[in-house]
Amino acid sequence: MTDDQSVPVRFTVNGREQELQVGAGETLLRTLRDRLYLTGAKEGCLEGECGACTVLVDGAPVDSCILATAAMEGREVRTVEGLSQVDQISPLQQAFLDHAAVQCGFCIPGILMTLTALLERQPSPTREGIETALAGNICRCTGYRQIVEAAMAVAAEETS
Amino acid sequence: MTAVGTSVVRSDGEAKVRGDAIFGVDLAVHGMLHARLLRAPVPAGFIRRIDTSRAAASPGVHDVVTGADVRNDRTGIVVSDSPLFAADYITYEGEPIAAVVADTPELAEAAIRKIELEIDETAPVATPEQALSPGSRLVHPAWAEFDIAGGAEFARGGNIAAEILSDPGDIDAAFAGADHVVEDSYRAPRQYQAYLEPKMALATYEAGRYTIQVSHQYPFRIRDRLAQVLDVPKSAIRVVGHHIGGGFGAKLDLGLEPYAAVLARRTGRPIKMVNTASEERLTAPCRDNATVKIRSAVGRDGTILAQDVDVVYDSGAYANNGPALVSIPMFMYGSIYRVGTVRIRSRMAYTNTAPTGAFRGVSGPYLVFAAERHMDHIANELGRDRREYRLASLAADGHKMRNGQALEQLSILREAFDLVEEHVPWAGSGQGQQSNGKLRGIGIAAAVWLTNPAPGQATVKLNEDGTLTVVTAATDSGSGAVFTGLRQIAAECLGLAADQVTITMPDTDVAGFDAGSQGSRTTHVAGRAVLDATTEVRKRVLEKAASMLEAASEDLVIEDGDIHVAGVPDMRVSISQVAMAATFGQGPIVGTGSYTTPPPPHDPACTTGMLFSTWPTPTYHVHYAEVEVDPVTGQVSVERYVIAQEVGRAINPDAIMGQVQGGVAQGLGYALWERMDIEDARYVQRNFETHGLPLACDMPEVEAILMEHPEAAGPYGAKGAAEPPIVPVAAVIANAVSDAIGAPIDTIPITPEAVLEALER
Repeated sequence: MTDDQSVPVRFTVNGREQELQVGAGETLLRTLRDRLYLTGAKEGCLEGECGACTVLVDGAPVDSCILATAAMEGREVRTVEGLSQVDQISPLQQAFLDHAAVQCGFCIPGILMTLTALLERQPSPTREGIETALAGNICRCTGYRQIVEAAMAVAAEETS
Repeated sequence: MTAVGTSVVRSDGEAKVRGDAIFGVDLAVHGMLHARLLRAPVPAGFIRRIDTSRAAASPGVHDVVTGADVRNDRTGIVVSDSPLFAADYITYEGEPIAAVVADTPELAEAAIRKIELEIDETAPVATPEQALSPGSRLVHPAWAEFDIAGGAEFARGGNIAAEILSDPGDIDAAFAGADHVVEDSYRAPRQYQAYLEPKMALATYEAGRYTIQVSHQYPFRIRDRLAQVLDVPKSAIRVVGHHIGGGFGAKLDLGLEPYAAVLARRTGRPIKMVNTASEERLTAPCRDNATVKIRSAVGRDGTILAQDVDVVYDSGAYANNGPALVSIPMFMYGSIYRVGTVRIRSRMAYTNTAPTGAFRGVSGPYLVFAAERHMDHIANELGRDRREYRLASLAADGHKMRNGQALEQLSILREAFDLVEEHVPWAGSGQGQQSNGKLRGIGIAAAVWLTNPAPGQATVKLNEDGTLTVVTAATDSGSGAVFTGLRQIAAECLGLAADQVTITMPDTDVAGFDAGSQGSRTTHVAGRAVLDATTEVRKRVLEKAASMLEAASEDLVIEDGDIHVAGVPDMRVSISQVAMAATFGQGPIVGTGSYTTPPPPHDPACTTGMLFSTWPTPTYHVHYAEVEVDPVTGQVSVERYVIAQEVGRAINPDAIMGQVQGGVAQGLGYALWERMDIEDARYVQRNFETHGLPLACDMPEVEAILMEHPEAAGPYGAKGAAEPPIVPVAAVIANAVSDAIGAPIDTIPITPEAVLEALER
């Protein structure tokens, strides 16, 4: 293990500058959850397959469980905690509540990040576009329907 | 009605979209250590030597234990066949052999790798067929010495972990006189629950008591099983539940809890354990793989005169809840159709594979797959239309199932067929090849399912601001049954809005017994307990208000948090004023409710050894599917999916729709895509990618018709709704694919290779 050879890394998380010493093997998910106490990104498979740990790095969704924090120098990281304010949640988060898109909720932080990135890149995606974007996020509860409907509703709001 | 019947937003929703909700894996307490398990690398063998000395000396290690260091008696839900650690012989790949406690999970894992283990590998008993073949090696040579919980009596012996036989004795004559004998053999694979949150446990030991924090569907089961494993009183264990990242039945029995508990006591430190994804896939209590053989004697006019059913399940290495599940064929054959006399033999076999268990619908999806494929086969044999033949064979209200229990409302099924017909008229067949070159097929299937009757309890407190708190150990593994359903029921009873009802998370020290989120029981059973408790609160509120308003309590009306005299809206008092007056007058207002569904009348003598003897609170289901099959690639695409489901009363329609969509998705995965193949007693697929879970782009829209036939015993008429949408899916898809390709599909999953092979036959 090379974890004791720590390196300095500077990056922002939800707009806040972070300066940390991290081991070469430390994943971004570990850093977020155990050092910054941002437990919204979930520890699911830890194999980069389920998508529950999805965060945005420079606006693009990535599996934080297989990404080294040491590689984050100068990057901009956003997590689910960054989507809402103290007294206000984002339109996408609200749409998830309105469309009953949340069941167990374990996949939801990752799915919200994937869809946030999609909607920022492309404010009115098609249904197929939404479904394709979600190819890296597994949800075992919902059958995806209400999740896709929620994203469609936000997209329609943007279009109108 | 204001709260019930509306799609109220779930109370945990905002915390879950914000990322604030605390799941089991998110828990941390001061001073906690981490433990990992050494798991068996082979499916069968004798342990010749374990040396843990290098592991114990590994950096950061606090403790190393094997079966020799702890109480390692065999225990189980029904059959006491399962030790904590494999100590002498190994019965499946992934079975725990030793545990290591260290400062971090990584250090524990590093130490695990230093344990020296010598195994004399033996050839595994890999399949139920092998297990039941004469002269097979016994998976448990000492099976006869295993204790049976509660002294339950059922047939077992050797590699047969449990068996039922229901033989009316006269079926051979029916077969001898039949015009047609139709015979089939169906096979179904395992299905992995694939919840995203791995199983976990966080244990502490303090002053003679264990506290176990979990994300688990059934906290009281942990209390009771842990008491059995540790040989301590149930009251020495407290189980506290947190948000559950999916379970679908996999989180109903013990997982890591006993290891964490034992290690917490030994080290004096809190112990957290979390499975890796590969440990989950190796050890999850999958839906059992099974073979179902059905033979029917059919008369000239198409009447089924007799049916002979033989079911063999794979129990895996241990029996788990299998001795109860082995009864379920008794409710799946001869229940909705008139099929004359029925002989049913159902057996579960021990093998050297991971123990199977409960997955949404348990054996229902493959039992209905077999029953409804067989109906198609008979109809085709007779040259009858498949839908018309089902309707002609459908039994009437009051028809008795094999256990002697009458289905009083079976005609709901006829209504379900009619509603599906109105929605999508039946065309008889998908008519094979289309202009796009694809083969089109349609299928239809029906089922009766139950609402699990097991007990629940609720305490409802009137708060001094006029709101309610529901204290219950009922768990919500995602359905919303607790976070919307129970709140809506309490709110409705006291004329409040659902958001004026707070509900606790489960804690076995605080709430009465609850049998957990299984079998769609929460809304019906725990909901009834909540309704009874709130009704008591309501009565006391009205009595207190009556004395405050100097009116008779039967003249009072509760509306929007206020109580007024009927016809005199000015004579009013708020519920919060009543609560304050009551609290500081007579004492706080609290109500309690306890409920378990009484067993419906049945004939206990119908068969021996049925641990699961009735089918309480039945619900009715018809599914319809249209598929397109690509004859070049063998790919199946689901073009249309329609269901009519009876729910009693839809407390929260959007939440039920979520269960329908999710249940059908799991059913489509089972029918078409998901793989948990076993070769030489080992799972072949070892990650999500090869496993083939449904993705967003795979899912058709499910068009659902909810039918309401309120059930008097249920809260506001509700019956179970969450579990059954998965049950008929494999049946209807297999029927549709068989129709499309003009060849029978009798094995699931229906892979492209299987389709191409069937097309070539």
